[in-house]
Amino acid sequence: MSADVRPVGVVGVGVAAPALRLAPGEVAKVWGTGGGRGSLAVCGADEDTLTLAWEAAERAMGAAGAAGDAVSGLWWGTTRPPFAEGPSHAFLASALGLSVSVQGALCAGSPHCGMEALLAAWDAVAAGHADVALVVASDALLPGLGTAGETTTGAGAAALVLVASAGADGNGAGAPARLVSRATRRLPVVDRVRGDQEPATGDVYDGRLFREEVFLPLVADVAATLGTRERWALADPDGKLAGAAVRRLGGTLVSGDTQSRLGDAGSAAALLGAAASFSSPGTLGLVGYGGGRATAVAVEVTRPVPGAQIVEELLSGGSPVSYTDALKARGQLQAQTDPIPMGVPPGGAAFVRGNAEMLLLEGARCRACGTVSTPPSIHPHCIGCGGTELDVVPLARRGTVQTFVVNQTMPPPFTAPLPLVVVDLEDGARLMVQGTSADAADLTIGDPVTLTLRRYATERAIPVYGYKALRTPSRAAAGTTTSGRPVEEVAR
Amino acid sequence: MSWNKVAVVGAGLIKMGELFDQSYEQMAAGAFAAAMASVDRGAPEIDACIVATQRGSLWGQEGIGGNTVPSALGLSGIPCTRVENACPSGSDAFRIGAMVVASGVHDVVLVIGVEKMRDKSTQEGLLARAAAGHPLYNRGETAPVLFAPFATRHMHEFGTTPEMLASVAVKNHHNGCLDPYAHFQSEVTVEQVLSSPLVCSPLRLLDCCPQTDGAAAVVLTTAERATEFTDKPVYVAGFGVATDHPYLHEKSTYVGLPATTLASTRAYDMAGIGPADVDVAEVHDCFTITEILDIEDLGFVEKGKGGPASLEGETALDGRIPVNPSGGLLAKGHPIGATGIAQITECFWQLREEAGDRQVTIRNGFALQHNVGGRGSGVSVVNLLTRDR
Repeated sequence: MSADVRPVGVVGVGVAAPALRLAPGEVAKVWGTGGGRGSLAVCGADEDTLTLAWEAAERAMGAAGAAGDAVSGLWWGTTRPPFAEGPSHAFLASALGLSVSVQGALCAGSPHCGMEALLAAWDAVAAGHADVALVVASDALLPGLGTAGETTTGAGAAALVLVASAGADGNGAGAPARLVSRATRRLPVVDRVRGDQEPATGDVYDGRLFREEVFLPLVADVAATLGTRERWALADPDGKLAGAAVRRLGGTLVSGDTQSRLGDAGSAAALLGAAASFSSPGTLGLVGYGGGRATAVAVEVTRPVPGAQIVEELLSGGSPVSYTDALKARGQLQAQTDPIPMGVPPGGAAFVRGNAEMLLLEGARCRACGTVSTPPSIHPHCIGCGGTELDVVPLARRGTVQTFVVNQTMPPPFTAPLPLVVVDLEDGARLMVQGTSADAADLTIGDPVTLTLRRYATERAIPVYGYKALRTPSRAAAGTTTSGRPVEEVAR
Repeated sequence: MSWNKVAVVGAGLIKMGELFDQSYEQMAAGAFAAAMASVDRGAPEIDACIVATQRGSLWGQEGIGGNTVPSALGLSGIPCTRVENACPSGSDAFRIGAMVVASGVHDVVLVIGVEKMRDKSTQEGLLARAAAGHPLYNRGETAPVLFAPFATRHMHEFGTTPEMLASVAVKNHHNGCLDPYAHFQSEVTVEQVLSSPLVCSPLRLLDCCPQTDGAAAVVLTTAERATEFTDKPVYVAGFGVATDHPYLHEKSTYVGLPATTLASTRAYDMAGIGPADVDVAEVHDCFTITEILDIEDLGFVEKGKGGPASLEGETALDGRIPVNPSGGLLAKGHPIGATGIAQITECFWQLREEAGDRQVTIRNGFALQHNVGGRGSGVSVVNLLTRDR
């Protein structure tokens, strides 16, 4: 590394995983092969790679004390973005409240892209083009029915906030962790692929061939160049490859527990597997793999990175889901009925006018009486006093249930039971939004709720995102206490 | 002193129900014939017509004008305007018809409400409204969602119970058995209501009105000319309409509907009376909770006491303030544009003491008719009728 590039540190980490857990044995019961230990994280019908990315990024930013307008760039790696072609990056950046001039890139096309995003963000900060970089790796891949991948594919997301900073000194200054070395290797071979017209991801041609001639040589080769062998977080497409690789490399595999809980999180696997280990000092080796490429990054952790301490809690738990419910949630099992269309087309003018204020969750606060009218575009006058002096403000994300109902039967694309919740937000604003089925059974007036980005519908291949009121779990409440110092104090 | 510038001289409706065998036009003609036949001294010449139809989208005629109905009634050529104002469409058409007559422009005005609720499936009809409005902030807002949050909160604040809600359905089903025009002609018990399937918690199936096709019509004329047509005209004593913010998150309260209070205050003031002067009320009971909110918001009982009042029979036919003697929306049905006109018809019969087995005692000579609805339940209309000029 030349002398004029800036050292780059890690000041916040965040993770996300969907709550549903599918036992691989459930898949094996249907298809007769596969199976295996652990569980696979499955997105609910209203979750996808973007909502997972948002959740992880929000946590990382919160942990780093980085406000949206402090972030200079978003580098997002996801194998399969919500739009094959379209505004994936713009949607995520908007929902995170990042500045309209935010830099960055969407890296996609293979599970290697999580590492590509990390390297690109590192380069931008090192070169001085970005002061605060947000790196997000997320995936919720759709495995082909009956493939081996169906018994290993999971979902999850991890995010890091990077700043220009030398490593921590003895006085607690500087970033608690820094990126120290990296290497990439390539082999032009076919591994897991999905053709342009295919809905789901296929298997590798021959598992043994892939293991012996592609994955293990490539990963071992690139990892060995880091010159570290303490702790490893590795991509692990089948739940066994990482262990085999670490046996060759020496050291400890720290990503095994996460892999066992969530399955293969694709582009997020290495970062997600390493996230909990950002809480303890030492060197970490991250290795991502996909599309015939492997990248290894060494991270030196001096102090616990904010956000890392709650990773374990965030990734534990989950609710068991049956195979059929998992298929319905993934959209691979659908009733032959016409779904109720959106009231307005997602590509139409109402969304051109309103998408930013919905993704940013904005209200219009009255200068005269303080009432917040939501959303601003349909409220030229204050609902409290009729005033027209209104300031657009971001709304609080937490509140309590004022009242609610639960729709017990709903046709597609809705899923019942469907709560609709009137939320009194902490900033005095009020909103009615959907809740989630998971909370339907025992939701109560006064319950604390958190507004969380979810996918409301997909129509004409366009996903529609907005916020839902989820009962605040104790683990998320714990997340608010882990913020580090404001990122501005660390970056220099 | 009541307004009393306009009189109802005829009123009629058709048997409500799932009228798969009748077209919109046939239903209109049926109600028109019934209203004209009810005019004691013979069918008058109609000068103008106001038609209430709220959901043209449910029978493939969204965006229609006012011309369909006169043609169906053999009146093509007369002035006709269609009114669409959510669930109070019929009651607002009546109010507008009264103002048309009072203006002196037209002497004899037909106000007719017609609604086809069952020409489309539930999924393509009422449930499709779950996609209407703001694309996110009321997505999933089916009809019961407009009222069920008020039940949740009313129970929380006042201890209103599912049994209290059920007592409204029990009473209105009982009344419906006495009304030959009602969609449902069967009694239900509290137990049946409480064991019916949950539709939109906390509301169960029997807390909800059915989807009903129907039509109703009234004939209005000036108070001066009323006795040319009948010896027993019923006068328009007052009316009021009010609006509230259209989204549920904009409500100032979840234990009442301020639009109803505002509309009724305006109507009472116009009529120079108060709620205690009302002998009988036809109110909007699309759901059981709605009637409980209504009787509070209209001033018949104190806020929070609607549940116990219903349970204790204060709103029964022989109670302190009989509510929904026709069976209400819960039993008679809710063909939206026709609903308000059908309620006016019941008030007309009650004030003329022609309601048969469901006749209530008329002391002060005042009847109240009320609807509330629309997005966020933000539109309410109250009409007051009197038999005394």
